[in-house]
Formats: sequence, C-alpha cells, structure tokens
Amino acid sequence: MSRRGRRGLADALPFLLPNLLGFLLFTAGPVLFSLGAAFTNANLMRSVPLQFTGLENFRMLFSDREFHLYFLNTLYFLIGMPVAIAGSLALAVLLSREIRGVVVYRTLFYLPSFTSGVALMILWKQLYNPDFGPINAAIHWVSATLRLGMDAPDWLLSTRNLLGIEVEKVALSARQYGLGARDAIVIMGVWTAVGGNNLLLYLAALMNVPTELQEAAALDGAKPGQVFRHVTWPQLAPTTFFIVVMSTIGGLQGGFEQARVMTAGGPSGTTTTLSYYIYTKAFEEFRIGYASAVAWVLFAVIFALTLVNWKFGNREVAE
Amino acid sequence: MRTFFGLALLALLALGGVAARLRPRPADPRTVPLVWASDDNPARRDQIDLYNRRHPGQTLSLDPNNTGLEKVVVQSIAGVGPDCFDAGEGSLSVLIAAGIVEDITDDLARRGIVIERDTWPAVQSIVLRDGRAYGVPTNAAADAIFINKAMFREAGEPFPKTPWNWNELVSLAKRLTVRGPDGKAKRFGLLVDWNSWPGFVIQWGGEVFTPDGTRCVVDSPEAIAGVQFLHDLIYVHRVMPSPVEEAAIAASGGWGSGVITQFGGGRKAAMAFGGRWWLCTLRDRTQFPGLELTAVEAPTHAGRVFHGYGKGTFVNARSPRKEAALDLLAYMMGTEYGQLINDQADGLAPTRAVCYAPGYDRNPKFPEEDYNAVWRATLERSVPNKMSPYVNSQAANRILTRQMDLVKNDQKPVAQALRDAAREVNAEIAATLERNPALKAKWLAVRRAADAKAGAR
Amino acid sequence: MKLRNVLVVALLVLLALSTLAPFLWMVLASLKPLAEVEELNPLPTVWRPGNYPQVFRQVPFATYYFNSVYVAAWVTFLTCLTSAAAGFAFSRLRWPGRDRVFQLYLATMMIPGVVTMIPNYTLMVKLQLLDSHAGLILPAAFGAFGTFLMRQFMISLPSALDEAAEIDGASPAQVFWDIILPLAKPGLLTLAIFTFMGNYGSFFWPLVMIKSQHLRTLPVGMLYFDTIYGRQTNLLMAASVMNVVPLIVLFVAGQRFLVKGIQLGAVKG
Repeated sequence: MSRRGRRGLADALPFLLPNLLGFLLFTAGPVLFSLGAAFTNANLMRSVPLQFTGLENFRMLFSDREFHLYFLNTLYFLIGMPVAIAGSLALAVLLSREIRGVVVYRTLFYLPSFTSGVALMILWKQLYNPDFGPINAAIHWVSATLRLGMDAPDWLLSTRNLLGIEVEKVALSARQYGLGARDAIVIMGVWTAVGGNNLLLYLAALMNVPTELQEAAALDGAKPGQVFRHVTWPQLAPTTFFIVVMSTIGGLQGGFEQARVMTAGGPSGTTTTLSYYIYTKAFEEFRIGYASAVAWVLFAVIFALTLVNWKFGNREVAE
Repeated sequence: MRTFFGLALLALLALGGVAARLRPRPADPRTVPLVWASDDNPARRDQIDLYNRRHPGQTLSLDPNNTGLEKVVVQSIAGVGPDCFDAGEGSLSVLIAAGIVEDITDDLARRGIVIERDTWPAVQSIVLRDGRAYGVPTNAAADAIFINKAMFREAGEPFPKTPWNWNELVSLAKRLTVRGPDGKAKRFGLLVDWNSWPGFVIQWGGEVFTPDGTRCVVDSPEAIAGVQFLHDLIYVHRVMPSPVEEAAIAASGGWGSGVITQFGGGRKAAMAFGGRWWLCTLRDRTQFPGLELTAVEAPTHAGRVFHGYGKGTFVNARSPRKEAALDLLAYMMGTEYGQLINDQADGLAPTRAVCYAPGYDRNPKFPEEDYNAVWRATLERSVPNKMSPYVNSQAANRILTRQMDLVKNDQKPVAQALRDAAREVNAEIAATLERNPALKAKWLAVRRAADAKAGAR
Repeated sequence: MKLRNVLVVALLVLLALSTLAPFLWMVLASLKPLAEVEELNPLPTVWRPGNYPQVFRQVPFATYYFNSVYVAAWVTFLTCLTSAAAGFAFSRLRWPGRDRVFQLYLATMMIPGVVTMIPNYTLMVKLQLLDSHAGLILPAAFGAFGTFLMRQFMISLPSALDEAAEIDGASPAQVFWDIILPLAKPGLLTLAIFTFMGNYGSFFWPLVMIKSQHLRTLPVGMLYFDTIYGRQTNLLMAASVMNVVPLIVLFVAGQRFLVKGIQLGAVKG
C-alpha cells in the first residue's frame, strides 16, 4: 500500500469502523452462513442428518413448478414500479413550488406508509370489496355514466390478472385475463409508494438542485419542460439511481407482508412471491438449505438487474 | 451537529433509565418461572391466574403466539424456547422430528393421568404417537349447527329435529334463504367456514389419509362426494355464500375468524356450522347486542360420525423446569381447569368426566345457553382428522388449501382438484421420505405389514 | 398562470383525499362496536369512544408504546450516526478497497432478509441478547441501506468544499462534522424518518426475540386483538390509530426541521 493509501485508510477507519463492524457481525455474517446453507440439505429437524449436497438444491428448484409460478408472481409485482417512481417525481415537482400548506400535503401523502400491517390490510379488503367497496362503486359509476357496460372486477378473490397468467402452470390464457388479486396488490403498492419514501427523497434532492442553474437556463430562453429535462433531471440522477435500485431490490424481495397477513398467498397461490415461498420453506417446513438456495437464486436475479442499473445510472455529480 | 447528536444521545440514555424502571421486580426468586406459549385471549388469562393461585411456588406467564409453530421451533432449537406450548393436530410429527418434545407417558402416569382413559378420543391423536404421549389435549371441539332464533321466528320455522341428514338441512336452508329482486341474497340459510371441509369428507365416509398415514386418499369417491356436497351448497342449492358474496356480507374475507363475526354481527345467515368455542366471541353482548342463539346436532350423511378437533399442550424437551411444566399439564387434566374451560366456552374440557359434571349443562352466568348437551353428544361420536406422520403438515395443508380454493371459487371440478391434491401430497410424502432415510425405513415396514395383512385376507 | 395553479392545487387535494380516506375509515371503525365494523356504512350508529380506554385495559398498551418508541429511537440514532460516518468514508475519502467494500454492502441488501433470520437469532442467543432491548436494537442498526443512502447524498455535494477546508488545515473529523454533515441534513433527516418508520412497525423479529410482557412492542402486542376466536377489529383499529399518532407527530416536526435546515444551511457551490 502506498503512503498515500495508508494515510487514506487511517483517515477513513474511525468513520468506517462502527458501521462496518456492526455490518459484518449482524448482516454479512448471517448472509455468508445462508450461502453455505444453500449447498447443504440443512434442515431444522434434527432427524435429517446434515449433508453437503452441492448443487442439488439448485437442480431441484429449477424443476420445481411452484418456484417458476412464484418467480413469475414476483416479477409481476414489478409492474407498478415505473408508475410509482414517476408519480413520486411528479408529486415532488408539484410540491416543491410555493404552495400553501405543503406540510399538510406531505403528511397526508405519507399516511399510507404509517399505517402498516394488519390494520392496512383489513382496510384494503374493505376497499376492494367487490359489491360494496368504494373502488368498485367508482368503477360502476364511471361505467354507467359513460355507458361502457363494464363489469367490475373481483379483485382479491379473483385469480385473473392483466397478463392472463394461468393459475397452475406458467402459461397465458384468455380465460384468466382481467383484474384480480395480483393487480389489487400492485395498485396497493403504487398507492403506498407514490407519497412515501421516494417522495421524500426526491423532495430533498430537489432542494439541493442549485436554483442558479435553472434560472440561467430559463434566461437562455429554455421552456420549463426543457429546463427540467436538461438541468433538473441530470441533477437528480444520483437520487433516481438510488430510488430505482432500491425499488428493484425491494420489489423483488417484497410481497411478504401482504401474503402473510392479507391473502395467505392466495387465492390459489397467485399472490405468493418468492419471499413468502422462502419463508414457508424455512419456517414452516424447516428446510433451511432449500430456502437459502431459492434466496440466492433471487439474489442472482437482483444482482444482475442492479448491475444493469449501475452501468446506466451511476454517476458522480460533483459540480 | 456535534451538539445535536450529543443531546440526542443524552436523551436516549435518559429514556434508558425509564426502561430500567419499567422492568418488573424479578419474580420472587423462590418461585419457579414457567413460560407457556399460547394464543393471547381473555380466557387464557383466567386460566393462568387460576394456575398461579393453585401453585404458589411457581409463576406462570404467557408468551403470546397466535401465529403458528415457527416461533416455538426457532426458539426451541436455539435452546431458549418456552417451557410449554400449544400446537394443533398434525404438529406432533414435526415436533418429534425436531427433537422438541419427548415421551412423557410415564411422567403422566405417575401423576395419575392416562390419556387414552381420561380424554376425548377425538383429540388423542394430537398428543399420542404409537401409543406414547408427548403432551395433553388442551381442549376439545366439534361442530354443530348454530341457529339464530330471531331469524327462525321471523321465517316461522320450527327448530330442526335431530338426528337429521344434510338433504333435510338443504331444504330448510332454502326456505330460510331470502333473495332480493336483483337476485342478490339478503339472507343466507347457512354459513360454513371452508376450513371445516374435512368434516364433510369424514361424514361421507372418506378420509384424508389412510389410518396408518402412509398415503393420501382424499381422491376417494367418498371424499369427492363430501366435498362436492359442500361445493354444491354454494353453487347448486345456493344456500351458502360464494367467496364473492361472503365478501359482500363482511369485508374481512373468508380466512377463518371472519365467519364468526359474520354470523353474529352480519345478521346475514340463519344457521352456521361451528364449534362451542365460537361462544367465546358471540357471548359478548356489547359487541353483539340482541343475539339469540341455540344449537342442534349437525346433520349427517353416512352414519352419525363427526369431526372432532382441538389443541394440545406440550412440554419442551429442553426445558430445565420439566417437573413444573408437567404440573401445568397435570393441572389441565384436572377438574378445576376443565370446569374453567367449560365456563368460558373455550370449546369443551379435554377430560370427558368433567363434561358430565353438573356444572356443564347449565352455567348460571349464561342461562340462555341451554343447549350444551349438544356439543357433548357430538364429541362422543367424533373422530379426528389424522395427519400423516410422513409429511410436513404445513406443506400438506398448503397443497390441500390451494386446491380447495379453486373448488371454493368454482374454478376447478371437485374430482379433478382432489385428484391433483392427492397426487401432490403423495409426491410430497415421497420427497420427504427421500430426505429422511430413517423415516423411509419405517414407512416401508408399515406398508409391508399392511400389504401382508391385505394379502392374508 | 392562475389557472395552472388552481389545477395543481385541485390535483393535490384530490390525491390527498385519496390517501386520507382510508385513514379516516380506520378512525371511524375504531369508534364502532364490533358488530358494526363489518357494515359498509362508514359511520357508526352507536359511537364508542370507550374503545380507546378499553385497549389500555386489555393490554399494557403504554408499556408497548414505550418499547416501540424506545427501540426505534435507538436504532434511528445509531443508524444515522454510523451511516453518516461510513457514507462520508465511502464518498469523500479515498482509500484502497473502497469500492469493493461498498459493493459488498450493496450485495447484502439484495439477499431476502428472511434467510438471515435464523443465523441472526442463533447469534443473539450466543451473545445472550435474547429477550432484551439490545437484542432488538443491535441487529437493526447496522444495515447497508443507511450507508448507501448517505453515500449517495454526500456524493452530490461539490468536492471543492473539502479541498478548500483541507487547504485551511481542517482534519477529516472537522470536515465531517462542520462542513459535510450540515449540508447533508436533508438526507440525514430522510434517513432518520425512514429508519424510524421501518423499525417501529417491525413485527417478526420482535415476535421471535421477545418473551417477556414488559418488553413487547406494539405490533406484537396487538396480536391480542386478532386470534382465531375472532378479530376484535374495532379495538385493533383503535390500537392502530394510537400506534400511528407518534409517527405523524414525528413526521410533521421533522418537516419543519427539514425546511429550517435548508434555510439555515450553507450556501451551495
């Protein structure tokens, strides 16, 4: 190590160490443990002797029909992500103007993120009630006014979905086309995410955009749309990168709360994501080895997508 | 910024002082602290208080666990689990395989307890394996037909005479189902929680697993007929709500606890197929004002047999306080606890004798509950829905529930759904055996003996 | 111009109503008797404000409240402090292996948290931190998320600031505390809010870790109202409303500070 490097390290250590130590102990360590477990038949049952099984778990999961179905479900839930991020950005732009009562708006938009868990799930079941819930009531009203003659969807009780994915095999079918439980959860996710953490992040980032740049561009004759595209948007790049990466990571790991509390993974397994599948395999069937293998396959997918994001998005804006 | 963080730290440390004050005075060090993992509800509190009064040398406390075995298994394997915990039918194989429970038959016998002699037959399989006991049943339950008296009066219907069969119930339910001009039901004749489907399989003469547990036979013609009837209640006779209609009655959907509140609060059904433990909730007159109930024995189809179920309480094999834990189990097999269970209507007491004591038929606090004999009579004729010891019960249940969902939503014919279910469960059994050689050896031995017996006949 | 503003306000009001409405339902449901919760009329016919004290009677709600706030506050404090410091190290300082280690941080965020629970639990047992506040605080306080967030925020600050300070003879510590950290306040505050919210509602970990009644947090405590005997939805809603109130207070107060922090903050560039 060069002298400069050593000095750099010495300077950095006091800042780095507290977080790094905790991280290694409580995060990295367990992660490595699960990596090891993925190559064994680790089972919480003492009755199954621990054996190194190599790639057996991975072979099993590639031929596991449930794995494919739930993988598809997990990918499906990413549909709402671009909508949610764009929504957060739009809201942030709107709210960063001089509007009276900004605090009130921000708090109201963040409300969905406060109420979590059982309370929120019960709430949404009411909203999605096919006969009397407000959502379908609104749809009925719109359909009647515009004389569309549409049938309101069954939401949480239906296995239909926007892409027409079948219930028991990985295939598309016209019979399953419609709006069902999966879509209900996607909508719920977008509603929660638009006014939530991403909005706060964009608001904070917008505050850091130097107004001089925007004013200069406007003086040069640029229209507001162009100012946004060429000045504001690039300044927001690190934040956007962060949000997209976190949303991808979070989205692919998500669906656990909803499955556990609201739908029990149903109807007929259509709202089971890989996260919930891992949980059931680990904590209900106690097959830690297999669960770890599934988790690491999911990791590989997330890693690949993040790498793609990194290539396109990581830029240091220092000036 | 330094001052800010510094002040924050001071504030947190001050709060830490408050936290220390909140710590309860350590229980009298002379008493043995006992932890029982069970679901938290008002009845449980009374049961614990009574135990502590009877056992001054111990302090029993509750570790709330409504959610299933995960917490108990994880804790116990790490060596820090509760001293006692509750689990339902089918959990025993998992518990034995994890090494969390052990054979306590002799310990119980020393205290004068013999499971086969003292408890309801329907709940013995929860705690017995190969004739050895690993715990004691906590309570017992069987389903009968709850009747909303006000609705029957309105409709001018007399209460049904038992014994009766399901076809008679269907006719009655049809008369009680009222539909509006738009075809939407204003009142249904019957509510059934779909988790009770094994009851229908049993009543039609089928079973989910063979008695020795080696195979899943939910695709037998009898089982298919039973589930078909349940399906037809919704889609052919239309006396029971479909999942969508159920959601229209009450927004909490169909996953279990909803049915009780729907029946009591929704006022949308005249009858419901449920157990005595529903009364724990339905008795609350502040929540359900004006509810008048009675119950009659459930109808039958092929012989007067019913499905009995319940929970068991087990001793943690790794607990350092086993003697005290066994005291708790002995308490549950005793008269006082049994009477408490009967009074609270937390199902029925696990011990048969207590249910024949005078205090059971009439509870002075709830004189309108004059139908307690019905539950007892039903339990006399109940058999359990035994889970196979060769498969993880939760894996099997997941498969079965998934197919039942499809049947419930009318998305798959009953026969096909049950055949797929049987196939998948048997595949799961095979996979489990592959992973566990000792279990496989046992399974082969049992099958060989069964085949030999079949061949010899 | 005027019309544009009016449209914007109208849109915001509409959206705000859509997020407020479910919360209103929750509050109204908490004032109903149980039989009416399932009714589709949002307003109670019989008002039951007594549901709120009832919650306190049935469970030691105040203790649960304290535990949730206390644990979340510690986690937030530790996360903000250590993540800001580590973020500083990753963004403003150069040292060998910096980017490699950062990628390790990122990588661990991509593992579904569920699988790390068992090894984490065993670790807690070995450290004898089971059934304690520390056991709830420590595993949650050192995640990679905070460091990632702070690094991203600090990266966008101009490097001319550091260089100017170094020329003036400032040590890295002074650069951190007196220059970078104040500028990163919006990010820090955002992290604080995220962390507090996230930890406050955490359910599964406290469920498995805590056995004693006096250490239970709110989400676990609310299980009491949701058993197979029937979900006492109205009491659950009352508990949830009370659960949410400190979060709202924190959020509103935090926003004022956020704005003030920007106004008092350094000049950019």
